[in-house]
Amino acid sequence: MTAKPSPHLTPINEPFLRGCNQNEFWLQRCALATCRKFVFYPRVCCPHCGAGTLTWERATGHGQIVSFSLVSRPQHDSFFPEAPFYFIAVRLEEGPLFFSRLHHQDIPTEINLIGREVRALFVQHTPEQRLPHFQLADPL
Amino acid sequence: MATVGYDGVVIAGVGQTRYEKRSEKTIQRVLWEALDAALSSARFPMRRVDGLAVTAFVLPPDNVTIVAEHFGLEPRWLSQGAYGGASGIIAMLQAARAIQAGDADVVACLTADVFDVAAHMDLMDRFNSSVRDYLGPYGFGGPNGIFALHTRLYMDRYGATREDFGAQAIAQRRNALLNPNALFKTPLTMEEYLNARPIAYPLGLYDCVMPCAGGDCVILAREDLVSAGSGRKVRILGGGETHNFPVEDVFSLRGGWERFRDRMYEQAGIGPSDMDFVQLYDDYLVMEFVQLESLGFCPPGTAAEFLRKRDTTVSGNFPINTGGGQLSAGQAGASGGMIGVVEAVLQLRGEAGARQVRPRRGLVSGYGMVAYGRGLSCSAAVLAGE
Repeated sequence: MTAKPSPHLTPINEPFLRGCNQNEFWLQRCALATCRKFVFYPRVCCPHCGAGTLTWERATGHGQIVSFSLVSRPQHDSFFPEAPFYFIAVRLEEGPLFFSRLHHQDIPTEINLIGREVRALFVQHTPEQRLPHFQLADPL
Repeated sequence: MATVGYDGVVIAGVGQTRYEKRSEKTIQRVLWEALDAALSSARFPMRRVDGLAVTAFVLPPDNVTIVAEHFGLEPRWLSQGAYGGASGIIAMLQAARAIQAGDADVVACLTADVFDVAAHMDLMDRFNSSVRDYLGPYGFGGPNGIFALHTRLYMDRYGATREDFGAQAIAQRRNALLNPNALFKTPLTMEEYLNARPIAYPLGLYDCVMPCAGGDCVILAREDLVSAGSGRKVRILGGGETHNFPVEDVFSLRGGWERFRDRMYEQAGIGPSDMDFVQLYDDYLVMEFVQLESLGFCPPGTAAEFLRKRDTTVSGNFPINTGGGQLSAGQAGASGGMIGVVEAVLQLRGEAGARQVRPRRGLVSGYGMVAYGRGLSCSAAVLAGE
């Protein structure tokens, strides 16, 4: 079994990945007073206004499911033993879109998960890196 | 601002290699085979080619310049596509501009790849840094997972059903059965479509393209250089491209075509209702629906209803993907962005064999460069025969 693909650590995403290892959800935020938008994935400039100064802020890890898919055929062998699992797009409370996995696997696909509230929880992805998955805020 | 058309440039010929599920051939050989076939069609010798555009995912560490060396060409214009499935049409439009400007006379626009499922998934796991760092670690399933999200959202927002997508997959399969180069050789039923092996719910096996090996080529030339015996000339009436639109709005269920479509139709002097066929970029059926809407064939959210009233086979009143498209012919990687152009040109030259429709003009569309949750690039062109 090959190792799971893991994010490459860069000077740009280091605060996000370090935060994950401390079970904390950190996002970039534009420092420009007229913008102040949150940003994900980590960038060198604000994709909303082009400003070059982004600060880091602790985020809630709360959001809503935008869409969902039960993935039976992952793109990498290392995920096969865990499949099928829910791959989801989450609109974070702060604004950015975040792709992740739903912690629950045993939900029938007939149940529409769009719009459901979710909360981040951090899982040990590789020995070196924890990453956020999400769980439903309210039971189905 | 006034728009400038593509006068003085014609598509002089097209070529397509055999599409194969597996191949021992190198990418350079497949590219050459596509070029050779297109040059025969256009009746140009190899040394007349003075412009070359190449898009092929498996080409690195080589690039278009190395391909020119490999083939013994002396080009004075080169271009390499970085827009995935939008690259084929973009290369064609940019080559036409180069010819108009006198920077080249005869340009070969080439796409090819040598893929199978494993190679495709491996590439997609590290396609670009946002995919590698922010999708791959969650087991996203490659493009299947991304477009499963778009499909499920489209169904939720607009009420489209699995049967709506299935009907289009089945129609394309019927077209493919008339295309000797299509990889799928048997009809598809709704039962088979709906009960197919799940890949990424709501997508099953027949929602997903089959990665394969193959290549496509389009030859553009200055009109006065084209010989009389090289078949009917095909003209570009209009076209456009756009990228990362709308910005920071991954789930708009728009592809970006709406940004340039009015300008494209104005250039062409005709609109959606004048098209005799449409070759859509069919990496996923939901994107065909989005293209019909974004290219102005029907209002946003109504493609399912639009298609329910039409027959999209070659014998129908609104032919789509007359060769079967990528879904039924196969997706040879970057050639997925050129298969529709080659099919359109064959149709407009009257060289489409058993699947020939009687077209005067048609529309081709491209889409690709999957990144953070969507394809970033789109392109389209209106083509006309003589």
